[in-house]
Amino acid sequence: MRLIVGYLATPSGDDGLALGVRLARTLGAQLDLCIVLPPDRVLPGLVSIGGYDEILAEQAQGWLDAAAATVPDDVEVATHVSFSESFAEGLITESARLQAEAIVVGAAGDGLIGRYSIGSVTSELLHSAPVPLALAPRGTRHSKIDRVREVTCALGRREGADLLLATAVRASAAAATPLRLVSLVALDPMFGTLRGDGEAARERALAHARRTLDAAKADLPEGFPVTSTITDGPSVEAAVNKLDWHDGDLIMVGSSRLGAPRRLFLGSTAAKMLRVLEVPMVVVPREQLGVEDLP
Amino acid sequence: MTTPDEQLHRAEEQAGLVSKGLAAGKVGTFSGAILGISSVAPGYTLTASIGLIVAAVGLKMPAIFIAGFIPMFLTAYAYRELNSRAPDCGASFTWSTKAFGPYVGWMCGWGMVIATIIVLSNLAAIAVEFFYLFIAELVNQPSIADLAYNTAVNIISTLVFLGLATFIASRGITTSERVQYILVGFQMLVLLVFAVVAIAHVGRGDAPAGLSFDLDWLNPFSGLALGAFVIGVTGSIFAFWGWDTCLTLGEESKDPTKVPGRAGLLCVTTILLTYLLVAVAVMMYAGVGEEGLGLGNEENSSNVFAALADPVLGTVGGLVLYLAVFASAVASLQTTFLPAARAMLAMGAYGAFPKKFAEVSPRFLTPSFSTAIAGIVTGVFYTAVSLLSESVLLDTIAALGIMICWYYGITAFACIWYFRRELFTSARNVVFKFVFPLVGGLILAAVFIVSIKESMNPENGSGASIGGIGLVFYMGFGILFLGAVLMLVMRARSPAFFKDRTLRSSVLPETVE
Repeated sequence: MRLIVGYLATPSGDDGLALGVRLARTLGAQLDLCIVLPPDRVLPGLVSIGGYDEILAEQAQGWLDAAAATVPDDVEVATHVSFSESFAEGLITESARLQAEAIVVGAAGDGLIGRYSIGSVTSELLHSAPVPLALAPRGTRHSKIDRVREVTCALGRREGADLLLATAVRASAAAATPLRLVSLVALDPMFGTLRGDGEAARERALAHARRTLDAAKADLPEGFPVTSTITDGPSVEAAVNKLDWHDGDLIMVGSSRLGAPRRLFLGSTAAKMLRVLEVPMVVVPREQLGVEDLP
Repeated sequence: MTTPDEQLHRAEEQAGLVSKGLAAGKVGTFSGAILGISSVAPGYTLTASIGLIVAAVGLKMPAIFIAGFIPMFLTAYAYRELNSRAPDCGASFTWSTKAFGPYVGWMCGWGMVIATIIVLSNLAAIAVEFFYLFIAELVNQPSIADLAYNTAVNIISTLVFLGLATFIASRGITTSERVQYILVGFQMLVLLVFAVVAIAHVGRGDAPAGLSFDLDWLNPFSGLALGAFVIGVTGSIFAFWGWDTCLTLGEESKDPTKVPGRAGLLCVTTILLTYLLVAVAVMMYAGVGEEGLGLGNEENSSNVFAALADPVLGTVGGLVLYLAVFASAVASLQTTFLPAARAMLAMGAYGAFPKKFAEVSPRFLTPSFSTAIAGIVTGVFYTAVSLLSESVLLDTIAALGIMICWYYGITAFACIWYFRRELFTSARNVVFKFVFPLVGGLILAAVFIVSIKESMNPENGSGASIGGIGLVFYMGFGILFLGAVLMLVMRARSPAFFKDRTLRSSVLPETVE
C-alpha cells in the first residue's frame, strides 16, 4: 500500500507529513513524498528561460530530502518531484502513477490569515481527488502520537455511504484498530423537518445507526471492537463536538452527493466538521474508480 | 483497487502526462510570434521611445528604427546559439562568465539586472500615466490626468503599482497565454487603426502638420550628426529589446527545426513594420515641430500617445488607445519581473550575489527574495530619479539603451569566444556564431561608447544634470561604476565565485583550457 504526501516545506506541509507517517505506520504503508512544481511554461520574458526548472527542482529535492530524513526508520519513504500547472492536479496524476491508496495533506493554509482556513491546494483536492484524501489539522506536526488509536466513521443516511463504510472497515481491519460508527443528527429546524419533532428524527437516526452497525459487523472478524454512537445537537458542529475525541483518533467521512461520481466533493456536513475537529479527517469519494473511468 | 489504478496509470503514461507534467510541443509559428510580440509590448514601447528618438533625430526616426534593429537582430542570434547549447536562467550572466571569467560575467549580469530594474520603473511610470489619462477621459475630468504629473501623487501611485506587481510576481501568479493573445491582438489592432486614421487625416488635409511621406526618412546615412544618430539608436535599441525570446522557444516548439526560425521572423517583421508604420504615420500627422502637437514638443515627447490619442482618434478612440497602452505596460510589468528575479536568482545560486538571492519560497515556489529586492530597488530607483529629473520617462529610456548596449554587447562577444573552437567548422557556424554576433557586438559597443560620451551633455537628455553632467550619464555609466564597486565588495565577502570555483564545473568541454 502506498500513501502520497503532498509536501511543501511549510508548517502545514509538515502537518501532512506527520499524519502521513502516522497512517503509514498504522497501515504498514509506504510513503511517497511529492512536491509539484509550476512548470516554466510562463511567457518567455526578456531573458531566455532555460535552466529555471532545474534550479527549482533541485531546491524541491532538497526540501524533500530534508523531510524524508525526519521520517522514522520504520516507515519506508520515497520522494518525487513533478511538474504541473496546479499542485492538486499534479498530486492526482502522481497518485495514479504510483497507484497510491490515498493522498495526505496538511489542511490548513499557511501565512497569517490562512492558518485558520483550508489551504487552496487542499480545497482544490477536496473537490477533485479520485482517491481518499487525508487532512491533517493544524498542529499535527507537534503531535507525539505515532499510530491511529481508533477510526471513527461518520455515516449519513443517504446514498453513497456504502463505499465509505467499506473503506472504513477495511482501514480499521488493516490497522487493527477499533472502529466507531457515529451518526450525527442535527436538530436545527430546517424546512421539511419543522413538522417532525426531534424525537422522531432521533428515532430514525438510531434505527439507521443500528442497521449500519449490523452491516459493519458482518465484514469484521469475530470479536472486532466496533461501537456505534448517535449524537445530536442543534448543528452538526455541536453534534460532532459532543463526541469524545482522543489523540490519535481519525474520522472518516463520505463526500457530497453533489460531487461527480468517483471524485471528492466536500459536503456541507463534512466541511462543518472540518471547521471544529482537531483530529485528522479522511474524505472518501462516493464511488470507487472503475475500469470504465479511465481517461 | 490496484487493477483500475494500474490501467489509469498506463493510460496516463500513454498520454505522456507522467514524464515531466509538461505537454511538450505546444508552441506553433503563430503563437511563438505572439509570445515574442507580447514580450516587446509594442504599444508601451512606441509611446516611450518615439519622443526620445524624434528629439534626437527629427524626421529620421524611421531610419533610426531600422538602424537600431540591425544590431539587435544580429545579437539575437548570439542569444539563440548560446541558449541552445547552454540553457541557463542566468542567461547573459552565465554565458559571459563562462566565456570571459567572473569579473566580466559579474558586470554583464549587473547590467542585465539594472536594465530590467530601469525598464520596470519605466513601465510602472507609463502605466500610472495612462491609468490617470484613462480615468480622466472616462469621467471627462481633465484635471485627473494632471495628477500623474504631480510628483508626489506620481511617485506614490507608481510605488503602489510596483508593490502590486511585486506581490503578484512573488506569489507565482502569471498571465496565461490566452490573456497575452488577447492583449497583443488588442494592442496591434489599436496601433494599426491609429496609424491608418492618422494617415487618413493627412489625406483629408486636417492634420496639424500634414507632411507627405519622404523616402529619405528611411535613410540613416544622410544629414545626421554622429551624436544625434547614436542617441536615437539607443532609443531604438530599447524598442527592439526582448523580441529575441521568440528565437529561444526551440525545445517547446511543435517542429523544433522550423518553428522557432519562422516564429522569430514573423515576430521581427511584424514588430519592425508596426514601428515603421506608426512612426511614419505620427510624423505625417504631427510633424516634428517643437510646438503644439509636434513630436519635438518637450511636453509630449516622453509620452507621445498621450498627446496624440484624442486629436487622431477622437474621445472614444483615444480612450481605447489609452487602455491599450495601459494594458500593454501592466502586462509587461508583470512578465518583466520574472527575468529580473531569475537573473538575481542565478547570480545568487552561483555565488556572485549573496546566497539569500537564490532562495525559493517554500510556499509559493518562486524566487521570493529576488523578486522582493527587484521591487524594492525599482521603487527606490524610480523615487530617486523622479526627484532629480524633470522627465523621468525620457531619462530612464536613454539610460536603459546604454545598459542594453552594455550587456547585449558583452553577450555577443561571449558567444564568439564561447564557441571559438567551432566557429569555422561549418558555414552555418561562421554566419550565426561568428559574423552575426561580431557585427552586432561591434555596433553595440560603438553605440555604448558614443552614448556614454553624449550622455554627459545634459542637453541630450531631459536637461537634468548634477554638477553640469547629464543625469543620464550617472544612470548609465554611474550605475555600471557602482556595480564595479559592489563587485569588489562581493569579492571581499565571498571570493569563491571570483576564484572561478562556482561556475567552472559547468564549463563545457570545448571551452576548458
